[in-house]
Amino acid sequence: MIGGGNSYVSAPPAFSTDARRLLVCTGAVVSVFSTSTGLQILSLEGHNALVTSVVVVPGNKALSFCWTASLDGTLRYWDFAVAELMKTIDIKMPIYSMVIPALLLGQTENGVQENGSKVMPAHAFAYLSIENTQVQDNTPKALRGQIRKCNLNESRLAGVILAETRKPEVISISPSGKFFGIRNKRRLHIWRTPAKDTKLPVAKITLHHTRNFTLLAFHPTKRLVAAGDTSGRILIWRGFGNRTFSDGDKLVNRGSMHDEKERPGIRGDDDADSCTTWHWHPTGINLLRFSSDGAYLYSGGMEGVLVDWQLDTGKKKFLPRIGSPLLYLTDSLDPSLSAISCADNQIHLLKMPSMEITKSISGIKLPFSYPEVYEGISSKFAFDHTAGLVALRTENYRIQFYSLFDDREISEVQVCERNHQPGDEVSVIVTLVSLSGDGSMMSTVEVNLPEDGIGGLVCLKFWASESQNKNFKLSTIVYEPHRDAGISALAFHPTRQMVVSSSYGGDFKIWVCSDEIQQKQDSLQHSGWMCHAVGSYKKKPMTAAAFSADGSVLAVAAETIITLWDPDNNVLVAVLGEMQMPIVTLYFAGKSEYLLSISRGSKPQLSVWSMSKLSESWSYKLEIEDVTCVEDLSSFAVLALLPKSSTCMGSNEPNFQGKDGVILLFNVTDPVPLAIWSVRKAKGGGLAFLKGNSPSFQQQSILDRNSPKAWLVYINADHEYILFDPYDNDAHELSLTKGKRRVAAVDETAQFGYASIYGELPQFEMKRDQTVLAPYAPSQRPWETIFSGSSHNLLPLPKLCLEFMESLLERRTTTVE
Amino acid sequence: MASSNIRDLLTAFNPSLDLFAISSGDGRIKIWDTVKGQVQTEFTDIVSTEDTSVFAKRERGHLSVDYTCMKWFTSERKKKRKLGCSLLVLGTGGGDVLALDVTAGQLKWRVTDCHAGRVSAISSARSSSSICTAGADGMVCEIDSLTGNLLGKFKASTKAISSMSVSADGKILATAAAQMKILNLSDHKKIQKFSGHPGAVRCMIFTENGKYILSSAVGERYIAVWNIDGGRKQSASAVLAMEHPAVFLDSRCIDSGEVGDAGLYVLAISEVGVCYFWFGKNVEELWNAKPTKISVSYEDSLSETHRGSPAIFAAILQGIAKPASGQIFVASGLPVKPSFQKILLHSGTDIKLSSSRDGVLLPMSQSLVKSKRGQDVQNRVVALDRANAEDALLPIPKIFDSHEKNKRHEKLRFDTEEVMTDLEDSRSHAGLVKRKDGMAEFEVDTAAICMEDRLRSLGLLSRVDDQTINSTLNSAAFKCIDIQTNMPQKKMRMAVLSMVPSDAYKLLGVLVAIWQTRSGSGNYVLPWIYSILVNHSHYVMSEEPETQVLSSLFKVTKSRMAAIQPLLQLSGRLQLVMAQIDKTTNTGNQILLHEDQKYESEDEDEDVNEIHYREEDDSEISSDDDQ
Repeated sequence: MIGGGNSYVSAPPAFSTDARRLLVCTGAVVSVFSTSTGLQILSLEGHNALVTSVVVVPGNKALSFCWTASLDGTLRYWDFAVAELMKTIDIKMPIYSMVIPALLLGQTENGVQENGSKVMPAHAFAYLSIENTQVQDNTPKALRGQIRKCNLNESRLAGVILAETRKPEVISISPSGKFFGIRNKRRLHIWRTPAKDTKLPVAKITLHHTRNFTLLAFHPTKRLVAAGDTSGRILIWRGFGNRTFSDGDKLVNRGSMHDEKERPGIRGDDDADSCTTWHWHPTGINLLRFSSDGAYLYSGGMEGVLVDWQLDTGKKKFLPRIGSPLLYLTDSLDPSLSAISCADNQIHLLKMPSMEITKSISGIKLPFSYPEVYEGISSKFAFDHTAGLVALRTENYRIQFYSLFDDREISEVQVCERNHQPGDEVSVIVTLVSLSGDGSMMSTVEVNLPEDGIGGLVCLKFWASESQNKNFKLSTIVYEPHRDAGISALAFHPTRQMVVSSSYGGDFKIWVCSDEIQQKQDSLQHSGWMCHAVGSYKKKPMTAAAFSADGSVLAVAAETIITLWDPDNNVLVAVLGEMQMPIVTLYFAGKSEYLLSISRGSKPQLSVWSMSKLSESWSYKLEIEDVTCVEDLSSFAVLALLPKSSTCMGSNEPNFQGKDGVILLFNVTDPVPLAIWSVRKAKGGGLAFLKGNSPSFQQQSILDRNSPKAWLVYINADHEYILFDPYDNDAHELSLTKGKRRVAAVDETAQFGYASIYGELPQFEMKRDQTVLAPYAPSQRPWETIFSGSSHNLLPLPKLCLEFMESLLERRTTTVE
Repeated sequence: MASSNIRDLLTAFNPSLDLFAISSGDGRIKIWDTVKGQVQTEFTDIVSTEDTSVFAKRERGHLSVDYTCMKWFTSERKKKRKLGCSLLVLGTGGGDVLALDVTAGQLKWRVTDCHAGRVSAISSARSSSSICTAGADGMVCEIDSLTGNLLGKFKASTKAISSMSVSADGKILATAAAQMKILNLSDHKKIQKFSGHPGAVRCMIFTENGKYILSSAVGERYIAVWNIDGGRKQSASAVLAMEHPAVFLDSRCIDSGEVGDAGLYVLAISEVGVCYFWFGKNVEELWNAKPTKISVSYEDSLSETHRGSPAIFAAILQGIAKPASGQIFVASGLPVKPSFQKILLHSGTDIKLSSSRDGVLLPMSQSLVKSKRGQDVQNRVVALDRANAEDALLPIPKIFDSHEKNKRHEKLRFDTEEVMTDLEDSRSHAGLVKRKDGMAEFEVDTAAICMEDRLRSLGLLSRVDDQTINSTLNSAAFKCIDIQTNMPQKKMRMAVLSMVPSDAYKLLGVLVAIWQTRSGSGNYVLPWIYSILVNHSHYVMSEEPETQVLSSLFKVTKSRMAAIQPLLQLSGRLQLVMAQIDKTTNTGNQILLHEDQKYESEDEDEDVNEIHYREEDDSEISSDDDQ
C-alpha cells in the first residue's frame, strides 16, 4: 500500500532548532524536509489521524525533539533526527491545537536549563484544544470545544476546563510563553501562564470587538496582542491585562483604574491600555505574526499578499503575487529564514529581510470550489494509467500532473493564458480534462463564464507532449465546438488519435488529428485536429461518451438512452434501452463485452449492459461516484456513496463510522462483489487502475519482489490518495490486522496511519466459489429469512452481514422495458 | 571535443532513479530531478557544519576540489519508504572521501587524506553498510557508510589502482591497474590474476551473480569478459567490440532455473556518447552477439562543430522486461540540460534519440534563424471557430425510423456523382465506402476530371471533329502557320521557335490529329511535326507520359512507314527520341518545371471549385435531415 497526496498546509509547520529542517504535518505523519534542498528527509509515522500541531523543543542545536498532537487523541514525543518515538500520551479526545508554554518559558528565563539538562522541565504543562466527543453534535448550542491543561510528565489531563467554545479553536501562544489565547466569536480570551509550581487557577482576560475574530498573535516582548477579524481589520491592543495580570491584588485595582485613564479604542471594561485599528485587507485575515524582533507585523489573507506593517508607524510593505491565499507564516531561529504556507498546498521558504522566495515545497493541488452550475459537468481527475500520473485541475487555470507512485508533482500546464489572483471573481473554468491512453495527448475544455448573460464561450483544446516529462504544447484550439452548448464528456480513442466530445446541445463530434490523414500536397498543414464526424440522436442532449477497448465501438449516451456508433464511418449501430435518469458516465469494462452506465439524481443506478445481447445484464440502485476497470481483466471497481439511511444504520456498527462511501470490486458477469472496502470522503473522490511499472517504483520492486499486475488508486475529496493491490489476498489480511490494531489503540512506531484515516479495511471478502450462499432472486427480501433458523445452521457472522447489506441494496436483474 | 567531455563527466543515478548527479570537473555537483527534468540542488563549496574545530582544513573554493569518482550509495534498510539513507560518495584528487546527504543538502561525513594521492574508485556490495575505496597508492580502504569511520585498510597492489569493484554479495573484490587481481574481501587473499589489458583499466564491474568480470581499459575498443572461477585460464572468455572506448559499464544477468529466462545483459557507454547493449544466453553467445546501439541524433551538422554535441552520458539497466530486451534509463542531450528517458530496448533494433535544445544557451550567429524556424513549426496552433464541422461526416444510421431518409440521402449522393464521368464515378464509389481517407481520394478525382476537360478542349479526344481542329488552328496563336502551303524549312523553324512550348505542343497534337484523320496533306503536315519535335523535344518528352501524343504519332508513323519514304526518316528519329525519353525525363522535367507548376496551379483552382460544389450538396442533405 502506498499513500500520499497529503495536505502540507493543514497545520502550521515548525522549524528545527538549527533551521535546517522543517517539520510539516502531512496527514497522519509528520514529514521532515530539508530547508536547503526542499526534499523530504524522513517522516515520523505513528499517529493514526491527522496531525494538528507540531512543537519543536527549543534549546541546543544538536537536539531534535518535538511534540506532536493529533486528532487520534494522542500526544507524542519524538526524536526527529532518527524518526524515533519516545513517548505517547493518550488523551482519548481529538486534539485540535496544542501549545507548551513551559518550553518557551524555559528558553527565555532559564538559559542554563537546556544546556544543563536535556530533559523536560519538571511539571511541564501543555494546553490543548480538544473536542468533547461526548456532547452530541446535533444538539443546539453544544459546546464541543474545550481548552484543557495536560501534565506532560504524568501523562494525564490536569486541572479544570479553561474555556468552552462551540467548536475547537486554535490556541495562539506568545513567543515568550507567558500568554496564550484563543478567539471565540467576537471575543478574545487571553490567559497568563501560571508559574511553574503554583496551584493557582490560570488568570484570564477577555477583549471584545464588534465583529468575529479570525485569529490573534502576541508580540514577542511587549504586552501587545494583535487580532484580525473577518472584515480584514487588524486590531492591536497595547498593554493588555495590566490590571488582571499584575502580580498584586487584582480585584482591588479594578474599579479605580477604570475611571482614571482615558483609553482610546477600548470597549467597555476590557483590560487594555489602548487599541488601534489598521485596515488594508479586503477580506478576512488568515495570517498574523510579529517579526521575531517585534518591530514588524506580518499579515495576509485571501488575496495572497503578504503585508509587512511597521509596528510603530503603521507603514506598509508588500510581497504580492504569491498567487494563493496565505495561511501561516513560521519563522525560524535563523532570522533570515521563514516559511509561508499557501492554500494551494505549497510552502515557500522566504529569505527574510528581503522577503524573497528561495525554495518551494509543493504538494498535490487541493480541491477548490467554483460556481455550482458547472459542478456537475466537471471531470474530477484524469489518469495516465501507464505512467501512474493523475492530472488535476487547479484553481489558477492549470493542469497539474502528479506522480502517484513518487508522491510528487511532475509538471503543470497552463491551460488558459490568464493571471490568477486569489479572491478575484472567477471568469474562466477549466471543466474537463482527458488524457489519451499512452499519455502523450491531452484535451481540455474551458468555459468562459458569461457576464450579464453575454460573452459565454466554450473552448476545446488539444495538447500534445513530446517526452515523458509531460511538457504539453497546444496544438489545436476550437472555439465553440458545439455552438453555444457546453461539453458533457471527452474521451480518447484507445489506440488512435481520435477524440469524441459530446455536448448538451444534442450532438457529438469526433475529432481526429490530421497526422492520420495523409495529405501530400498540403505541406502547410501542421498536425492539427479537425472534425471528422458529427452525430446526433433525436436532438437529445448527449451526456456521456466512451470508446470500447479496441476502439471499434463508440458509445454515446443520449440522456437516458445509449447509442452505439461505428466511429470511422459514423454509422449508428444500435440503441440500448432506457434508463430512468440521465446517464452521466459510460465505461467499457476492459476487453470484455460489457458496458457500464451510471446515472445519478433521484434514482441513481449502476447498470451493466451486455454488448452481445444488447440488453441489460444486471444493475444496482447505487449512487456511483466513479468507476474504473483493468484493461485486460474483466473486473471493474466502483466507488459508491452510501445512502443516508445506511450510514445511519451503520453508525451503530463501528466499521462505518464517519465513512460515506464504499469501493466495490466486481466481476462483470457476477453481481456479487469480489471485495469491498469502505472509505471516507468519497463524495468528489476518484478511482483508477494503474499499471505497476513506474520507473522508480520498479527499481524498488525488483529488489523486493514482483510488482503486482495492477494497482487500484483511490483519491478522496481532499486529494489524498492510496494505492493498493486489489487482487492481493495478503493485502486484505494485512489491512485487517491493521484494523484490529487500531481498535486496540496501541502505540507502535512502525504502524501505518493510512488505514485509520482512509479506512481501507475490507469488512469482508467474498470468494467466488462460495456455494453456501443463498441464491438471489429479484424480489426476495432476505433479511426476513437470513437470521431465522437455528444457530448452528446460520452462516458465520461476517457473511451474514454481507447478505444483510446486500439485501438493503435493492437489486435489479435484467429488466425489460 | 564531445569525446573529451563524456570522459571527464562524473555521473550517478540514485537507486530510485529520481535523482541524477553530474559533475563536470569544476568541483560543482549538480543534482537533477529526473522526473521533472529540473536542477534540484547544486553543491559547490561543501562546508562541514559539525566540523567547526580550528584544525579543520580551510576551504579553498570549489575550483580547487577535483572529484575523481562518484557513486550513489544506499544502505538497504528493510523499512519501507524510509528516506534519507542515500548518500552520494565522492572521491577527490587529494585523497579525501566525502559523503553528501543529498536530500538534506549537507555533508554527512568526510575522510580526510584517506589515500595518498587520488582516490580512483568507490564501490560497495549491495547489502553491506561499508564502502570500499581504492586509490593511487594501491591501498583499499573500507569505510562505514553511516559514520565515515575507517574500518580497515590493506595494500592490494604495489602499483596505483585505476579501477576497483566489489561483487554484489560482498565477498570478493577486484582491483585493476593494467593487471587485474581478484581478492577475497574477508582475508585479503589473492584468488586469481588476469593480465591482458595493455593500459590502465578505466571501468570494471562484476556481473550480478559474481561469475564474471567485465572490464575495459583506456583506449581499448572492446570490453573483456573474464570468468572468475575459470581456474588457471588466463585469457578473456569473451570480447565485446565497440567503435570507441567504453567509459561506463552496467550488466544484469538472470540465471534462474527456468529455461529460456537465463541471459546475460551488458550495457556500455562509449566515449562519444553512444550506448551499446549486448544480450546473450551465455558467454559464448554474448561474444557473438551484435550490439544494439542507442545514439542521439544530431539535429544538424552545425551542432557537431559546436562545442559539446548531444550525447548519452549516463544510462542504467533498469530491468529486464522480457528475454532479449531491457528497460534502460538514459540521461541524454547536453550536460548542461540533460533529458531523461526510459527506453525499452529490444536486442537487435537500434534506437536514435532526438535531442532538444530547450534551455541551452547557443551562440547567436548560427542558431537564431534556425531556432526561430523551429519554434514556428512547433508553436503553430490550429484554431477552429464555430464552423468547425463543415467537412465532417454526417451520421449514417442503420436502424430505426430514419431508414428511409437514409436511403434518400445515399441516393442523392449517387445522383450527384453519376453526372460525372465514368472514371470519376468508379473512384468516388470507392471513396464513399472508404470515407476515412476521403479527402485524399477527392483530390485524385478532381484531377482526373480536369485532365479530361483539358483533353477535350485540346481536341485530343477521339470524337472531336475537324471543326474543332480548324478552329484551334485559326486561333490567334497559330495565325502564322499555314499548313496548306509549303513553307521553307527556315521559316517554319522560326515560327515554331517563336511559339511557347505549350502552344507548340498543342499544335503538335492538332497536327498529329490532322495527319491521322488525313484531313490535311501529309506533305505539309509532316515538316511541321518534324520541326516541332526538333525544336521542342524536351517539352514534348515531358508531356509524353500523360498525353501519349508521341506514341500515337509513332503508331501512325509506323503504320505508314512502309508506304511513305519520308516517314521512315521521321520514324527513325522518333525511335531515337523514344529511347531517349527514359534517360532524359529527369533533366527535361527540371528545365520546364515552372511550366508544370503553372499547370498545377490551374488544377488547384478547379479543385477548390469542385469542393464548394460538393459542400453545397452536403448542406442540402443536412437540411433535409433536419426536417
